[in-house]
Amino acid sequence: MSQARKRVDGIGLLLLAPAGVLLAVLFLLPVAYAFYLGLTNASLIGVHAQHYWFTGGANLRRLWQDRTFWHSLWLTAVFLFGSSILGVTVIGMALALLMQHASIFWQRLAGAVAILAWMLPPVTAAMVWYAFSTTGGTLSLLTGGHTDPLDSHPMLIVILANVWATAGFSMMVLGAGLRGISSEVREAARMENASRIQTFVFVTLPLMRRTLVTNLLLVTLIILANYALTYIMTAGGPNDATNILPIYAYQQGFTFSNLGYGALVGDVLVLIATAFAYLYVRALRQD
Amino acid sequence: MPKTGLHRLALALLASCSVTAVSVSAHAQSKVVVTLAYGSEYVFDTNDFAKKWYDNVKAAFDKKYPEAEVKLVPIPGGYTDIINKLSLLYRSRSTAPDVAQLPTPALGQFQSSGWLLPLDDELATASWWTEFPSAIQSEGRFDGKVYAVSTGENDSQLYYNKAMFKQAGLPEDWHPKTWDDILTAARAIKAKVPGVVPLWLNVGTSSGDNGLLQGTGNLLNGSSDPTIQDASGKWVVDSKGLREVLTFVKTMYNEDLGDSLSDLFSPSAVTVPLTLFQKGKLAIAVGSNYYGGNWTKTICSPCWAEAPQTIGVVAIPTVSGQAPGIATTLGGWDLAVAATTKHKDYAWKLLDVMEEEQSQIDAANWAGFVPAAQSYTKSPAFVDFAPPYNAVSAEVLPYGKLTPAKAEYEVWSHALQQATGNLAQHKDMTVDKAISDMKGYVANQLGSDQVATR
Repeated sequence: MSQARKRVDGIGLLLLAPAGVLLAVLFLLPVAYAFYLGLTNASLIGVHAQHYWFTGGANLRRLWQDRTFWHSLWLTAVFLFGSSILGVTVIGMALALLMQHASIFWQRLAGAVAILAWMLPPVTAAMVWYAFSTTGGTLSLLTGGHTDPLDSHPMLIVILANVWATAGFSMMVLGAGLRGISSEVREAARMENASRIQTFVFVTLPLMRRTLVTNLLLVTLIILANYALTYIMTAGGPNDATNILPIYAYQQGFTFSNLGYGALVGDVLVLIATAFAYLYVRALRQD
Repeated sequence: MPKTGLHRLALALLASCSVTAVSVSAHAQSKVVVTLAYGSEYVFDTNDFAKKWYDNVKAAFDKKYPEAEVKLVPIPGGYTDIINKLSLLYRSRSTAPDVAQLPTPALGQFQSSGWLLPLDDELATASWWTEFPSAIQSEGRFDGKVYAVSTGENDSQLYYNKAMFKQAGLPEDWHPKTWDDILTAARAIKAKVPGVVPLWLNVGTSSGDNGLLQGTGNLLNGSSDPTIQDASGKWVVDSKGLREVLTFVKTMYNEDLGDSLSDLFSPSAVTVPLTLFQKGKLAIAVGSNYYGGNWTKTICSPCWAEAPQTIGVVAIPTVSGQAPGIATTLGGWDLAVAATTKHKDYAWKLLDVMEEEQSQIDAANWAGFVPAAQSYTKSPAFVDFAPPYNAVSAEVLPYGKLTPAKAEYEVWSHALQQATGNLAQHKDMTVDKAISDMKGYVANQLGSDQVATR
């Protein structure tokens, strides 16, 4: 009995080996190297371009005292909360609910438009939103004509753009979750004279718990990775108003040439993403 | 089944490797290959002109030295993309370009990385080198040796719409002596010529370093104290000069004499005045020397045949008219040879071909430069390309000051860009607050012992 188990384990490991090697070489090793680089004084150009070395805790001390970093961390929290929790989950849920009760034609059309927005490359989406929110654009005309929504409320506009680009994905995931709830449960609630809202809050939402958590975590990771949309619209400005962590890491590494320090800021991002990914895996396992 | 598949795959890989190896070695044995890296989209006025100029350089070199040939390595993208790409190319011996076109403000950093070759021995034999003004020769000089030579410079002037000036009761042959003269003219335009932007001055962070070079950097050079980095190497974050510049920005934008924020903060802000002038929507601009060339039929970006009659040009004055009376930044593009080059002699020959009169005048006309060599700037082919603008750009060139060639300069530059952007956006912000924000930012990034007040 034990011998048979051993053989299975051996072959299993062998079959997993290529994936394991790819994972190690393309992911684990580079991330480990990034953590090492984060503690060196490597620079893109300058005296430490060719000759750099491990500087121990110097970069960590610098990070601790870096006001722009803490501001960037706060901005990232606001950005993620606004985009994924408020924006995508709420809007995705609304879309999914509306889709449930609409005719097939509208279901298909709305679905196609939402997914098209999600599939657009970040450059295209950024250009659309830039044109929409700058002076003379549609949003500007709707709010008086001479306003400049992009520069007066940059974080809000950037959050809206990210919500617009990701809501389609959320709609699909939450829609599938909704369809998984049998209509008998809803009928039972109606027979108990529950109002629509009561049905939604006390019946639908609890049954959707797992899907909601999955969606939330996935969307957070997607938005965290898609910094290109924000960067193209504002490049972190004006006056660092949208200087989220990925943009700050890029600025440190490629505008100020501090590759080592920029890598450290990027490492913080990796840790945040890892925390979210861990929560996601745990949420999946709980059932 | 899997075994034969693997077998076939291995054979195929081996075959393709050997074929490539044979072709590579065969190619390498025939000619000496000199690689030339350059910005293919950002530097020249249009991509077509960039292609034309580099194809001409390659043709001239290949013809003169049949035993060698040029391999062009174009770098698309903007200013920062060029610097980043070159930084990455230099990191490995096999990709380091033999000759590369580098932006002037980044020269110090490239040299301190140890990637560039000193060229003093070869320069002693070059006739064109002796014609460079000493400020331009110093561009590429570090620790007493020259590592890069200019292939064209940019400087700044004031452009103004003569018809609008007449309408506002201002002289058509305008010679402002102080910054107040500029503000007075802008105010007159605002009062008498409605519906146009009175004055264009670059502010904010969207154009990066370039925004500073084509905007407030010129004012700083004409202020009472243009020091950016003092003698002990500290970065000046509070000085009479900086306060004069920021006060000018605050006054200008508080009185609504400038353009809208969406134009100023747009990624392509530096080219906005070109179109605004052509559409008759702008009266005065602190602009760069390439404007005149852009309006010609040859460059056509945008085309404006009536430009020379409509738009006058004059040097930017100093803050209160003090000597030397003219203010401008100085910066452009330079050529350098890689320290690890295997073909030092041919790399130099290529550089020499690129610095010949016809090449330099073509580059000046097609990229909006002023040539570095004095005799080239007087050549009719340059002066008559975009009259009367090119003559004035050549005239103010000797007054230009270079920016410090250190990596930390980027932080100082970003802080000043932010200060100007904030003053333009928030009318209730004081100059004191802008200065203290700038001090806080630079101290936070570089250390509080690296900042100085004057």
